[in-house]
Amino acid sequence: MTLLQLRDFQVHYASRAGIVRAVDGVDLDVPAGSITGLVGESGCGKSTLGRGLMGVLPDAARIAGGSAVFEGRDLLGLSARARRDVRWRRMSFIPQTAMNALDPVLRLRAQMLEVLIERGGLGRAAASARAEELFRMVGLDPARLADYPHQFSGGMRQRASIALALALDPALVIADEPVTALDVIVQRQVLDVMRDLQARLGLAMILVTHDMAVVAYACDRVAVMYAGRIVESGLAADVLERPRHPYTMGLTHAFPDVHGGTGELVPIDGAPPVLINPKPGCRFAPRCPFAQPRCHTETPVLEAGVACFRAAEAPALRAAAALPATWGAG
Amino acid sequence: MSAVISAENLEKTFHVGGRTVHAVRGVSLAVSAGEALGIVGESGCGKTTTARMLLRLEDPTAGRITFEGTDITATRGAALLAFRAKAQLVFQNPFDALNPRFTIGRSLAEPLRNFGVAKSEHEARIAAAMARVRLTPAADWLDRHPHELSGGQLQRVVLARSLLPGPKLIVADEPVSMLDVSVRAGILNLLRAARDELGLAAIYISHDLALIRYVCERTLVMYLGRVVEEGPTPALIERPRHPYTKALVAAVPVPHVMQDRAPLPIKGALSDAPLSGPGCAFRDRCPLAFDRCAAEAPPLRNIGEGRKLACHLGDEA
Repeated sequence: MTLLQLRDFQVHYASRAGIVRAVDGVDLDVPAGSITGLVGESGCGKSTLGRGLMGVLPDAARIAGGSAVFEGRDLLGLSARARRDVRWRRMSFIPQTAMNALDPVLRLRAQMLEVLIERGGLGRAAASARAEELFRMVGLDPARLADYPHQFSGGMRQRASIALALALDPALVIADEPVTALDVIVQRQVLDVMRDLQARLGLAMILVTHDMAVVAYACDRVAVMYAGRIVESGLAADVLERPRHPYTMGLTHAFPDVHGGTGELVPIDGAPPVLINPKPGCRFAPRCPFAQPRCHTETPVLEAGVACFRAAEAPALRAAAALPATWGAG
Repeated sequence: MSAVISAENLEKTFHVGGRTVHAVRGVSLAVSAGEALGIVGESGCGKTTTARMLLRLEDPTAGRITFEGTDITATRGAALLAFRAKAQLVFQNPFDALNPRFTIGRSLAEPLRNFGVAKSEHEARIAAAMARVRLTPAADWLDRHPHELSGGQLQRVVLARSLLPGPKLIVADEPVSMLDVSVRAGILNLLRAARDELGLAAIYISHDLALIRYVCERTLVMYLGRVVEEGPTPALIERPRHPYTKALVAAVPVPHVMQDRAPLPIKGALSDAPLSGPGCAFRDRCPLAFDRCAAEAPPLRNIGEGRKLACHLGDEA
């Protein structure tokens, strides 16, 4: 069942130089009870997409069009009040740095109770019991509810912000780079907590990340974003093992593998385009080693999980993409 | 080959709010020309403090540092300045490393001026350094300001600046962690090429074993200020011997869907208050700890094949 369905979703920023089309026509289906990785480099719009869905965009940004149907209702058609209601109760957010989710001057108990009582409508005793249950769920000692955030390590803070996000039993959790700032062992432990809770509670997650290995470890599905659009999406097993978009192919060769020996890593030369008055054509074409004349003038649409005119040639392109010479030397 | 830099029994103790923190305890290492050494461990393991001592940005509490055969542990004045030209740090965050008001050209000329290079040589040396980081022709870049460059381009400038004084040693602390995935590979390849072509000794500090595997022949694993395991990087990763190294390797996600998702062989989290008294500092998190681990600290000893291990379990670990 599709929990969230985005069609032509757009988020624009106002800047002195003009309108920045940070999210520019995203189509994405998030099934219930799955973890979807939203992956791409900085500036591709993945965090803006997550924040736009959650309604926590900065002042200069606004949702400029499209639809976001969540549990059968278009979020964009709801009143501000109805949207606030969906937020937290049905959909919640874990920011990259837990310190942004936690109030430094309040004990954890007070922060948990505030959400449970003010937004969840629980009584004080029920809220207290629920706060302890949530702490146990994420592997924290309920006694630590008496602590302030600064008394927690980075991993503990991230667990606490997960507990906060799960407080009202949402159907969808959007996590924005939730493990990026953490050490590798803590990162793994936090990912394991998220996977375990997702499976036990049957919730859906959108995990925003730049790290393909994190997607491979934790996600069932993946959507690869480039310059404001989804360029490839599908089951993680398919997309990671047999990428069909050249950008995805590039990403898979740009990463060192701890067991992969010392074969040459291949950078993707160039940088993403500026999204003010973007030119027509495929936005990856200027960096793509396989671009043809048509790629610079016509815009490929996302069809059967890939937005590339040469998708039918994917196996041959994959073989070529594995060679450093294809991408130009360093 | 003789070492470019070596350290014996480095110790660093900080006094914070009435508490004594032993950040580094008895670290010894040596790096030869053309060799890259990795230092891995979690935040707080002492890897960055060790690097800062090697660069003389931090004075060791005890121990000795030798650079090109000379004891530099307490060097001051002109000799310290000469050392600084030869031992360069590659900054972690390229967005902070350059003065935003200076043009790239001015930022690059600064170290040459500081180290007393004749002005007539500046242009040629800057052009050579820019070529080494593949920002060519240099003239296209020198008049720009940092905000006009992408993160990857900035990191190339930062690397060029580090190479300008003609160092024999470069120390890179998480050199690509602030950069986009698509450009990380380019920077790592440039660092490798600079090391090979110039015969530099290199030290990489990172928590990312995959990165260390890519650039370092040899690796030290640190835990709470101590080296717990050391060896050739491929052997250390494929056949880790210390229980901590095993957990560290197991924790690294790999970019393939089929991968080991078994629970990590480690207990709890890095404690705020490290264990005191005798014994192994890892014992409270070690799934294999036994009586002896609480009674005596295991020394770092040779175990053959160029490897060292600090664990009582030895062969069984």
